[in-house]
Amino acid sequence: MALMVAFACGGGGGGTGGNKGTIKIGSDLPVCTTGGQSTANGVKFAVDQKNAAGGLNGYTFSYQSFDDCRQGAYSADAGVENVQTMLGDPKFLGMIGPYNSAVAKAEIPISSPQHFVMISPSNTNPCLTKEVAPPQAPCTYHAADLRSGNANNYWRVVTTDDYQGPAMADYMYKTLNVHNVGVLDDSTVFGVGISGAFETEFKTLGGTIAKHSEYQKATTSDWKSILLAFKNAGALGVYVGGTDDQNICIPRKQMKDLGWDVPFGGGDGIETTDCIDQASGNELNINATSAGADATQIPGAKSTIDAFRKAFPGANDFGGYTMQAYDAANALMAAIGRAINDAGGNTPTREQVRSEMAKTKGFVGVIGTYDFDQNGDTNLKIVSIYVVQSVTDPANSTGVCGKAQTKLCFVWKTQFDFAKK
Amino acid sequence: MSLIDFLFYIICAAAVILLAAQAVINPTAFVQITVFGLADGAMYALVALGYTMVYGIIELINFAHGDVFTLGGYISAAILGFFAINEESFSVINLVAILLVFPVVMLIMGGINITIERIAYRPLRNAPRLAPLITAIGMSFVLEGIMFLWHGPASVHFPDILPHGLGYQTTIAGVFVTFKDGFVMATAIVLVTLLAIFINRTKLGKAMRATAQDRDAAQLMGIDINRTIAATFFIGALLAGAGGMIWGLYFNNLFYNLGFRTGLVAFTSAVFGGIGNIPGAAIGGVLIGLIAAYSDSYINSKWTEVVIFGILIGVLVFRPTGLLGMRVPEK
Repeated sequence: MALMVAFACGGGGGGTGGNKGTIKIGSDLPVCTTGGQSTANGVKFAVDQKNAAGGLNGYTFSYQSFDDCRQGAYSADAGVENVQTMLGDPKFLGMIGPYNSAVAKAEIPISSPQHFVMISPSNTNPCLTKEVAPPQAPCTYHAADLRSGNANNYWRVVTTDDYQGPAMADYMYKTLNVHNVGVLDDSTVFGVGISGAFETEFKTLGGTIAKHSEYQKATTSDWKSILLAFKNAGALGVYVGGTDDQNICIPRKQMKDLGWDVPFGGGDGIETTDCIDQASGNELNINATSAGADATQIPGAKSTIDAFRKAFPGANDFGGYTMQAYDAANALMAAIGRAINDAGGNTPTREQVRSEMAKTKGFVGVIGTYDFDQNGDTNLKIVSIYVVQSVTDPANSTGVCGKAQTKLCFVWKTQFDFAKK
Repeated sequence: MSLIDFLFYIICAAAVILLAAQAVINPTAFVQITVFGLADGAMYALVALGYTMVYGIIELINFAHGDVFTLGGYISAAILGFFAINEESFSVINLVAILLVFPVVMLIMGGINITIERIAYRPLRNAPRLAPLITAIGMSFVLEGIMFLWHGPASVHFPDILPHGLGYQTTIAGVFVTFKDGFVMATAIVLVTLLAIFINRTKLGKAMRATAQDRDAAQLMGIDINRTIAATFFIGALLAGAGGMIWGLYFNNLFYNLGFRTGLVAFTSAVFGGIGNIPGAAIGGVLIGLIAAYSDSYINSKWTEVVIFGILIGVLVFRPTGLLGMRVPEK
């Protein structure tokens, strides 16, 4: 090890000069949405901090944000193109992303033969890494098929929908005392998966699913008849599986048009600024889960968040997955640093980075201390519950607030730790 | 009665019986869904009229029409921003704003649509029919692109300035009705009535009907064809602009590619009622709105699109001229 340090010092001129060259890190996120952009900010912040501290083992990092939006919504095709661009440039040694599970499903098969490290700050569909246990519906695609025999190159710093869906089921059933709900999903990989996981847990608890409806963004603009069918079937709450870029929160507004005031819950796809905007007039008491611990609830995270806010002062710059992205970027850079040592102080190969990432143990991030299993999943199995409330100082909430209604923000309520169950 | 006719009536009867059964099981819900369907249908009708008028006169499916409708909503939202409107409760300023913005937006959209016709369609008047059709699709993308650049991909908030909330909603025998539902239907009825009077009673309306029947003969009679066709686009856009604003006032949400879907549904309505036929488009719009609402509630929203476009196929197979008959230039 001493030899390594000596070598690094010799080659790097003190180890902080950063004159060995540049290592590129990419991110593939739907930056057309506030959720995607605030996540990219977390990566940029981590990279900027690392470079300001003198880089790593003589290298500086260069960060490039790729956008996987097409026509205003995430697109797996755009994501694949972005990954191909990164694969085509040997300086890219890893990426943060993607944001959406459907994009990951398309990207893993092309990145895994190249041993290209992907760390998602927010993918929650369980089938990307593992099989789900009964009684939940089995996976319709399989992690092993996506990797087609290659060593795992995909990690995520958040937990999965087989915990996220049940967390909201527990919360609605036990805390909100709602025992009959209508379920609506947006027909996407994420939406179908999380609403299915919710439904299974809700029934296990003894609850009733009044009706489960699906819609597609391209074809639905009025949800009132769907909501009325829920109401008439006896629903006393609504659970939505989907994301804001599929307009999943407009039904929340329309519940008010119907004069139907019952609890509304969903997954991390609705814990966003755009969701609050879509619900205009009926923002309060939207309940949402997030597949990780809340950074603002962790005492040790405060200094990082404060520094972030100084660097990114915009009202919507901080989001539900900003700190997860920050941790993911630091985990990646740490693995690259170890891989540089493996390569004798030179630029490592992608396989060296992948193999070091796979050895990550006890990585201390802002959110917690991460261990990853061989599938790429984190040992942190915390799901947070948020609710939209009126706050006096948005900076003291999660920071996820409306654009028009800047005082209506997601506020942390509680968390479920499935690792302790 | 041919076999095809027989099948058509059987299918219609089956649908009516199934609906009637639902109406008997839960009449309150049935009426409630009907109210939603009528409100949605009224807006489809306003858009469908533009499709049918343009098709009637130059046999062009103006795919950009749905986006003219959406742009109407975007522009009215922008103009409303200049007023000190109150979204919490209804104020006099809201009323003034609505009364002023309606005609302004309609005229702006009329002007835009005339420009589109002049630039994109008129040079292709005598080209093969496929050429203006493709141009119309291109125009649709151009308009969507403009709205995308203007407000980005996320949904755009439209000020909620119609009277709403307690005091403007009531429950009649279990059916929840808001002022907004009534407003949408009443405005649509007024606009369609005005259009009918214009087409049937005015000189320009007569010229439009004549041009639709036989362009050459109309020209021989001294009708300015270019002016008449431009007028058709203008009037179609007046209705689309009003439709866009009504949509915004009703849903309070717009997004840049809303016109794609709404346009397809409105076009289906126009074919359903008999393309080129003005009362047909209005009735077709209302019926499609109702069918979509029934399907959302009684079947499942994932099947609604199948139902709507299944009807389009059914109409083309069983009733190629639509419910009220096609009215297009006779060749």
